[in-house]
Amino acid sequence: MLKRIVTFGIDRPKVILWMTLLVVVASLLSYPRIQVDTDPENMLPDTASARVFHREVKQEFAVYDMVVVGIVNKKDPEGVFNVETLTKIYQITEEIKDVPGVISSEIYSLSTKDNIEQGGIGEVKFDWLMAQPPASREEALAIRAQAQDHPMLYGSVVSEDGQALCLYIPVERKDLSYRVVQDIKKIVARYPGDEEFHFTGLPVANDQFGVEMFKQMAVSAPLAGLAIFLLMWFFFKSLVLIVAPMLVAIATVVVTMGLLIGFGFPVHIMSSMIPIFLMPIAVLDCVHILSDFSEKYRFFHDQKKTITAVMDELFSPMLYTTLTTFAGFFSLSFSAIPPVQVFGIAVAVGVAIAWALTMTFIPAYIMLMDPKKFSGFRKTGDEEKSPYLDKILSAVQFLVSRHAKKILAATTILVAVAIYGIARIQVNDNPVRWFAPTHSLRIADRVLNDHFAGTYEAYLVLEAADKSEEIFIQPQVMRYVESLQEALLATGLVGKTTSLVDVTKKIYYELLGGDKVNNVIPPTKEAVAQCLISFENSHKPDDLWHMTTPDYSKVNIWLQLKSGDNKYMAKVVKFVEQYMQDHPAPQAMTARWAGLTYINVVWQNNMVVGMLNNFLGSFIIVLFMMLFLFRSPVKALISMIPLSVTILFIYSLLGFFGKDYDMPVAVLSALTLGLSVDFAIHYIQRISEVNHHTKDWKKAATEMFTGPGRAIIRNALVVAIGFLPLLAAPLVPYKTVGFFMFTIMAFSSIATLFILPAIVYFKPQWVLDENKKTVSCHCGSCMLVALFVALAVAYVLLGYTPLGWKATTWISILVIVGLAALCHIASKRNICFNERGEK
Amino acid sequence: MKRYGLLLFLFFVGTTPAWAQTVEEIVNKANLASYYAGKSGQSDVVMTITDAQGRQRTREFRILRLNVKEGGEQKFYVYFRRPTDVARMVYMVWKNIGKDDDRWLYLPALDLVKRVAATDKRSSFAGSHFVYEDVSGRGVDADIHELIGDEGGLFKIKNTPKEAKGVEFAYYFVWIDKTNFLPMKAEYYNASGKLLRTVEALEIKDVQGYPTAVKSQATDVERKGSTIIDFTNVVYDVGIEDGIFTERYLRQPPTQWVQ
Repeated sequence: MLKRIVTFGIDRPKVILWMTLLVVVASLLSYPRIQVDTDPENMLPDTASARVFHREVKQEFAVYDMVVVGIVNKKDPEGVFNVETLTKIYQITEEIKDVPGVISSEIYSLSTKDNIEQGGIGEVKFDWLMAQPPASREEALAIRAQAQDHPMLYGSVVSEDGQALCLYIPVERKDLSYRVVQDIKKIVARYPGDEEFHFTGLPVANDQFGVEMFKQMAVSAPLAGLAIFLLMWFFFKSLVLIVAPMLVAIATVVVTMGLLIGFGFPVHIMSSMIPIFLMPIAVLDCVHILSDFSEKYRFFHDQKKTITAVMDELFSPMLYTTLTTFAGFFSLSFSAIPPVQVFGIAVAVGVAIAWALTMTFIPAYIMLMDPKKFSGFRKTGDEEKSPYLDKILSAVQFLVSRHAKKILAATTILVAVAIYGIARIQVNDNPVRWFAPTHSLRIADRVLNDHFAGTYEAYLVLEAADKSEEIFIQPQVMRYVESLQEALLATGLVGKTTSLVDVTKKIYYELLGGDKVNNVIPPTKEAVAQCLISFENSHKPDDLWHMTTPDYSKVNIWLQLKSGDNKYMAKVVKFVEQYMQDHPAPQAMTARWAGLTYINVVWQNNMVVGMLNNFLGSFIIVLFMMLFLFRSPVKALISMIPLSVTILFIYSLLGFFGKDYDMPVAVLSALTLGLSVDFAIHYIQRISEVNHHTKDWKKAATEMFTGPGRAIIRNALVVAIGFLPLLAAPLVPYKTVGFFMFTIMAFSSIATLFILPAIVYFKPQWVLDENKKTVSCHCGSCMLVALFVALAVAYVLLGYTPLGWKATTWISILVIVGLAALCHIASKRNICFNERGEK
Repeated sequence: MKRYGLLLFLFFVGTTPAWAQTVEEIVNKANLASYYAGKSGQSDVVMTITDAQGRQRTREFRILRLNVKEGGEQKFYVYFRRPTDVARMVYMVWKNIGKDDDRWLYLPALDLVKRVAATDKRSSFAGSHFVYEDVSGRGVDADIHELIGDEGGLFKIKNTPKEAKGVEFAYYFVWIDKTNFLPMKAEYYNASGKLLRTVEALEIKDVQGYPTAVKSQATDVERKGSTIIDFTNVVYDVGIEDGIFTERYLRQPPTQWVQ
């Protein structure tokens, strides 16, 4: 039925051509509506509780997304604390206040914050820290001393080493930050000198990422196209012929991206990789058709007859490889991470589009070709001869046929070692590291981390369990917060913490005359309240409400982490949990986290668990497909072996080499399954076919190392090399994907060519069972099927319902027992006996 | 002050027509009408601070004022009653002309009297959206005044600070009632013409013959949020003495005036 579309393409090639063109043009129409989303926050659904709370905290404590301008002066021994630099900073701050999109009243700079200090005798002074630029070196150094004595500025605005400064520029919306940074860069350019200006902050990183992402798409995707083109040229040496798959690839990419944009999905870091994934996949089936066509044309000398024969033969394997690939990508739609879902579905749809195009466009194209052109490639048609490949293949054949058992033993050892490696995998990600080490953002990150104790922000919000008011001005509660902060510093993971406690202590000792002996929490609740209301007479009373609520029912502790690595944030979260358990607070309280550093941890956890789920899911789906295709549970299992070994091996490398298991790596695990099983499908299908003709498994196994072996290697090369241009991308996640896809495709094709033949040599009947009986007649096979079903049930129950592991286990066991009983009964049916009897 | 104002009025009537008052005259009259009513004054104040998120908190205090010199120096005594944690706290301000104010703070929980240096008058008044200058008046000499309009019975005056340092705005407009010279509204702008904050008189009452703003609102336009001040029990010429406005009375509040 499906095959009818192929016939249509052969009969009405021009209609197909015009229709394709129409669809491509229609898709292009949606491109102007492109939206870019580079916000790592969107790795979590908008409604995720962590994000909801994060937004609440941002609103409740008036915390904004900040552009960070770091300033260092390496020429001056006092760093930025000299008259000239501070004058510049003063003027730059003034100018930044007028940049559109900047919340000028909330800028953190020396000239925008109030200091509490000693005035004349017996006098306390609330005044701008730097009301005007210093007139002398002494004044400049005095400003530094005051800033370093201010809990809200020390370690955030002024560095611990007193050399560097950071201005924090709050922006009204995150997506304004790139433009704001450009404006600030223009301002800064008017103040030349010894100062270095660095721009950082998560909003900057996000916006910057968007810009680089387009570069990536503009460079890597065409490069991938070129690589595939060259590779096909190498295979077929016929321009006319290879233009067809290139057109299919381009049309697939254009239509898929058009659909994605048309449906209003923003282009995220994940979806920007869609073209790179689709191009090699789209070309794969075309390569099969063209290979086969150029071979068969020699016999038929007729376009129509040849293409009909080719399509007839290849239709079912192409359908299956497409379906497995589709399943692999589609399994990503079960991910808990929206951009990953979008990516998975889009590529799955793209795979389907590529298949449809291959089924229609390629036959149509061949039909429309000038028959004279074929005479050209008939000469080069003997492209089957590739001496290197053949030499390699026969060497492999020699090895496998003699050492099948050894190869299988080695595989087993490899799997064991790989499992050990996987156990050592470290889950971690850090959006700043998505940029190459030489990127200006990474440099800014390094320079600022040299001077500041911590530049990655997270917020810990404490609230009384009974939500009572005024608890955080009670001295005993404040002392608890104080000791928690001290403990956090002692972990070595946190560079600095700031809370209401620090500010209260500062006000208190300054009011008492400035003696640091009094740098303690005031003795009574009234005293705390009176200190705070005194502070409210300053220019920036609202600074208090970044740290507590006006009813003092919550505090917001600002943490500055030394690293943006998720693993450190995760450790800090765990530490606080443990601390609050070991040291009960004087009043029962809840602790919740916010801040982008924390958000990253949450989606990372989703990613790891989610991806394992997806992996299992796509494993089971593909397994069922194999079961359906081969009608034998044993063959189905065997077909899964090479890719399982590959994935285990590749992921164990992460563990052994200490590379972090991060977002791109996690995503790859599920989808490579669908791609790399193709090799096994081809191998098992072909060897069964050959064996059917020759009735001699040894002959069949040997023959597999000629034509089919070459096809597998060629396919692997197309996909693997198609991903290599990603290595040229300026962003690290793309490089990771490129490297991994290359390695996985290369390794899994090799694994297929070693392991499957080894199994054939070891137990030919497993792969080449010519038994025509139904599965249900074979009690063992039937049991295996039952096991698969049980696994699937367990997976579905575990993944999609809140049922725990225990319930699932019991249900699975019940399913197995039930199905086993069915198997037993089924295998005793009359038909089976009859067949056995015949034998 | 009324008499003084009348004298001024007569003086100017003698020299120029009534409709052609100079901007300086208008500004001076407004200053007197809004900050110098009576020789002294007393009022109970409820200050309701509403922030951008709609969270409200209130402060209640008694305010005492004494004019040392008409249109010149004044003394203020602010005695807190609520919230209870800060009850009995006192702010005292000696408003000076031509030099920084003197300010004191008394914290009963620490039994601490503290002088507070006031380098400018643009800091918040007790955490509200009013600044000290809104409460005690901005020196008329601090700005260059231009009469730029006459809108519905109100003079519109543009004021540009002579000294840009120490102020967060670049200029502000004031609308002054032509009949009683009370400033009804002020709008503060930054250099690029963005509105930063407004101060408005919401309710005017006649108290002992003095038109008095008994309800005012200050709004932070940029960050949202506003404060409303309600004045009740306003009494002028209460006969309050100069001796009350001393450090001694910070620790021992003058019972007769703060009960």
